[in-house]
Amino acid sequence: MATTTMTMAKALNEGLRRAMEANKKVLVMGEDVGKLGGVFRITDGLQKDFGEDRVIDSPLAESAIVGTAVGLSIRGYRPVCEIQFDGFVYPAFDQIVSQVAKLHKRSDGVYTMSLVIRLPFQGGIGAIEHHSESPEAYFAHTAGLRVVSCATPEDAYWMIQQSIAHDDPIIFCEPKCRYWEKGEVDTERAPRGLFEAVVRRPGADVTVVGYGASVRTMLRAAEAAEAEGISLEVIDARSIAPLDLDTMAASLERTGRLVVVHEAPHTASIGSEIVSALTERCFYSLRAPGLQVSGYHTPYPPSRLEEDYRPSVDRILDAVDRVMGFES
Amino acid sequence: MSREVFLLPDVGEGLVEAEIVSWKVAVGDAVVLNQPLVDVETAKATVELPSPFAGTVVELHHAVGDVVEVHQPLVSIETDASAPAPAPAATPAEASPAVEPIEQTREAVLVGYGVGDEGAATRTRRRRGAPAPVAPAPVAREAAPALAPRSTPPVRLYAKQHGIDLAGVRGTGRDGLITRADVEALLVGAPTPAPSRPPVTGPATPTRFVGHDLAPWASGPEVERIPVRGVLRSMAEAMTQSAFSAPHAAVWVRVDATRTMELLASLKERPALAGVRLSPLAIVAMAVCDAARHFPGVNSSFDADQSEVVVRRVVNLGIAADTPRGLIVPNVKGADRLDLVGMARALNALVDTARAGTTAPNDMLGTTITITNVGPFNVDAAVPILPPGTGAIVAVGRVAPAPWVLDGAVVVRQVTELAMSFDHRQVDGALASRVLRHIADYLEDPGPRLIAG
Amino acid sequence: MIGEELVQLLTPEGERVSHPEYESSLTNDQIVSYYRDMVIVRRLCTESTSLQRQGQLALWAPIQGQEAAQIGAGRALQPMDFTFPTYREHGIAWCRGVPPADMLRLFRATSNGGWDPQKYRHSVPTVVLGNQALHAVGYAMGVQRDGAEEAVMAFFGDGASSQGDVLESFVWASSYNAPIVLFCQNNQWGISTPMSVQSKIPLYHRAHGFGFPGVRVDGNDLLAVYEVTKRALDNAREGGGPTLVEAYTYRLGAHTTSDDPTRYRIDAEVEVWRHRDPIERVKALLVREGTVKASYFDEVAEEAEGIALQLREDVLAMGKPDPITIFDHVYADEHPLIDEGRREMVELGVAGGGH
Repeated sequence: MATTTMTMAKALNEGLRRAMEANKKVLVMGEDVGKLGGVFRITDGLQKDFGEDRVIDSPLAESAIVGTAVGLSIRGYRPVCEIQFDGFVYPAFDQIVSQVAKLHKRSDGVYTMSLVIRLPFQGGIGAIEHHSESPEAYFAHTAGLRVVSCATPEDAYWMIQQSIAHDDPIIFCEPKCRYWEKGEVDTERAPRGLFEAVVRRPGADVTVVGYGASVRTMLRAAEAAEAEGISLEVIDARSIAPLDLDTMAASLERTGRLVVVHEAPHTASIGSEIVSALTERCFYSLRAPGLQVSGYHTPYPPSRLEEDYRPSVDRILDAVDRVMGFES
Repeated sequence: MSREVFLLPDVGEGLVEAEIVSWKVAVGDAVVLNQPLVDVETAKATVELPSPFAGTVVELHHAVGDVVEVHQPLVSIETDASAPAPAPAATPAEASPAVEPIEQTREAVLVGYGVGDEGAATRTRRRRGAPAPVAPAPVAREAAPALAPRSTPPVRLYAKQHGIDLAGVRGTGRDGLITRADVEALLVGAPTPAPSRPPVTGPATPTRFVGHDLAPWASGPEVERIPVRGVLRSMAEAMTQSAFSAPHAAVWVRVDATRTMELLASLKERPALAGVRLSPLAIVAMAVCDAARHFPGVNSSFDADQSEVVVRRVVNLGIAADTPRGLIVPNVKGADRLDLVGMARALNALVDTARAGTTAPNDMLGTTITITNVGPFNVDAAVPILPPGTGAIVAVGRVAPAPWVLDGAVVVRQVTELAMSFDHRQVDGALASRVLRHIADYLEDPGPRLIAG
Repeated sequence: MIGEELVQLLTPEGERVSHPEYESSLTNDQIVSYYRDMVIVRRLCTESTSLQRQGQLALWAPIQGQEAAQIGAGRALQPMDFTFPTYREHGIAWCRGVPPADMLRLFRATSNGGWDPQKYRHSVPTVVLGNQALHAVGYAMGVQRDGAEEAVMAFFGDGASSQGDVLESFVWASSYNAPIVLFCQNNQWGISTPMSVQSKIPLYHRAHGFGFPGVRVDGNDLLAVYEVTKRALDNAREGGGPTLVEAYTYRLGAHTTSDDPTRYRIDAEVEVWRHRDPIERVKALLVREGTVKASYFDEVAEEAEGIALQLREDVLAMGKPDPITIFDHVYADEHPLIDEGRREMVELGVAGGGH
């Protein structure tokens, strides 16, 4: 087993590199992805090694980045688009929702929309609002799209490769505040399938589900809860659409209590979907209603306030207290 | 040749009707496919409708100026054999519409075929495969599984409110779901035996309850409803009236009844008293009457209507009697004037009559003070409810050997408990305490008092 | 209106005219054949309008007046070229070999597309204005990376010329020197929005601002459209980059069958353009030059009639698809929500209910 320690940023870079080596049809395109290596340096050095035809510095227009990727995909390429920041994806929303998601269907399966849209998402880096948003639910809502998120360097390394190899269009959400955290990466064997959730920490009292940056926060909350005598089972959803409800339901049927953690406003969110779907599945096992710990129903705040907006250990523990407080 | 009807199509103009502007054909005219037939006008536009058939016009269903609803007949055409094959369509009674609009049950909007009929407000399709009905299995408890009890939250709340722990319960619902009925079964201990325990069936003989023979536990219905009539109704009404009109309070005391029991034992041996059943109740009755004589205020009632307290100088001593018909409270009229033997005889007669079910209504009227004897049931005490119109009721528990401190030493004595409920509107705690102490003293040393009478 | 910038090789009266840069290369046989195309396409269009008026189509987008623009461009394409249409490119679809009935599946509401886009190298209809222009540029970038000698053509109208996607496609096409022809049919009206609201300068002038050539061609002149498009396509295949072709034409009919153009434009304008009818123009040329026998025109009309009746038959035979097909091709790979939907439909007894 070849295990290496690397940051999530490096793991993504290595994953992209490996995908480009494996398939010449894989292209990387976006703003500043070439010479600069991307504003987060995720594509650092790729243009130097794979050339300007495969690592394409694009003009600054997100709809065109995605729209031309659609055409390249029709032509048989596997473009990996970088949207520089979450808040800049909206100009491409029309292309993603009207075309990327639906051309496979519209063409009766003839077109394969084999493209990946990389989306640095969630907050926590002290940036402006458009660099800190969590737009994943918009895409999870759209039939034809898949949405995944990595929480560890190892998942980053493998999930980006699995997404590129997949024939459906995938919105690849990267927790930008975790880019520089290090972790062990087994570069020989993918630990699990792209659409599988994973139990990051087993527990007995409350099932806590989240993804991306929230995973580490949940794990810290679980440590704090343990000190208080409450055992949290932490699940990294990994796939946001489709959700691996089987893994989540198996946990919830044991604990009977659910808390979902994410950074988007809670209305019509992934948290809403998880609570709804698991309530349907596990209704007879529930000891308490499923709760969300999420962003508030406000625009992303000025980042001096973001830690009051994002789910924190305290807010997660408060939700844990609430679900533990229900008569069961 | 066949007669075809062209129904006014939804031309996507946004309305559900159109007005006939002008006919471009007349009855008898020969028409070819797509030949303009008519101009119709909606509020949005005037549209020329081409014929979907070749043939001869046989009927124009509307005149110029008529407003026609979408999907209503517009024109009928007798087609010739060479006409293009019509689209397959359902056949109405009188004519086969060769070209019926693709969707007949749509409501026009701005664009498209219009809004489809989203279905009648009744179920038109079969239910999706309902699982075959399953015979209910008994509720079973089993070794606690790792899973949380499977039940709906409301049922859980119900169980919680009734003190039922659902852990380890396997319900009779689908996949072991615990239903409300399961909780109810657990509540009444109904047929829900744990497999590891022998079934509890209870005795096979009937028991009496409010004047009825109740079937044994194992064989009777799970739920039995008994009409509230007769004695039961009287009891219920009396207790309700009393409980909600007289503010009850109670005092109680433990009594060394050894001398009472010794006295009773010695009296039983006397030939003159042969045939007289002497019980502690008789001594208690004598004591109560004596207390009334000493404290008449306890032998009273509260007349709210007249704003008066009614004190009686006669004791009509009520005795709560457990009879086949249920609880009745006949009284011994003028009990304060009886000696012990008279009291014993009166009580014997009263009880015999009550058990025979022949107690006269008059025997139950006018009670001034009551005794309820729970000793035969082998319990120590009770806090009774006053019969309406009385000021006090004394409960007597069993007389049983118990440790007792006598002269600083613990000895075994025959001990009983007395409790007295009283109407706190006119009887206060001090009076009640004195009365009960008086009775207790009487029982602790009945001899001199019986004589003093 | 027809200024000197407009490339025209055939007058409305059917007389050939010379142009300093373009000369017709069409043989008589080609002109005769393309005349037939135009007649058939128009007949298919009138049949489709009738079918809509008879309640058999949800909608139809007519092309009357734009036949020369579409047949001229469509016939200039090579088989390996790839085209990205809107929802009104019936003439292009005809040239690409798409069966007429397939063109109507969208309008019959039995499909969201209608044909195999790879088989005919003609993409599926795009209804969101301008989206397809970016797809075309992306596809062209793929052609470029493959080193293939193919050209790509994106279709859009004057209405879509204000869309960001179209303008972004100009930027991309220019920056990457994509082998593409951006073919704009300026039919003067975006439903009720006149050209004057969309642009204060001729549309083809916009190309210069983006750094590539733009040409305005008489969109009702088959010969001119063919030559201008062919040169643009050849240029693209040879690595010369993009060209914007503005085919200056007119939508004689309604925007769609749900539209009523009498509300926003005057009859006189329509009459002017009827005088410039693209089919009559070629017919006049053929008559003038004696290219075909007089009976040829009736033969073509009769053939078109037969094709139209066949279309009618094919359309009426298109029943409601099996509802379970809703779940087909939503994803390329397995998806739990698709499985769930299928299962529910089967349990409800709906699946298999097509007729």
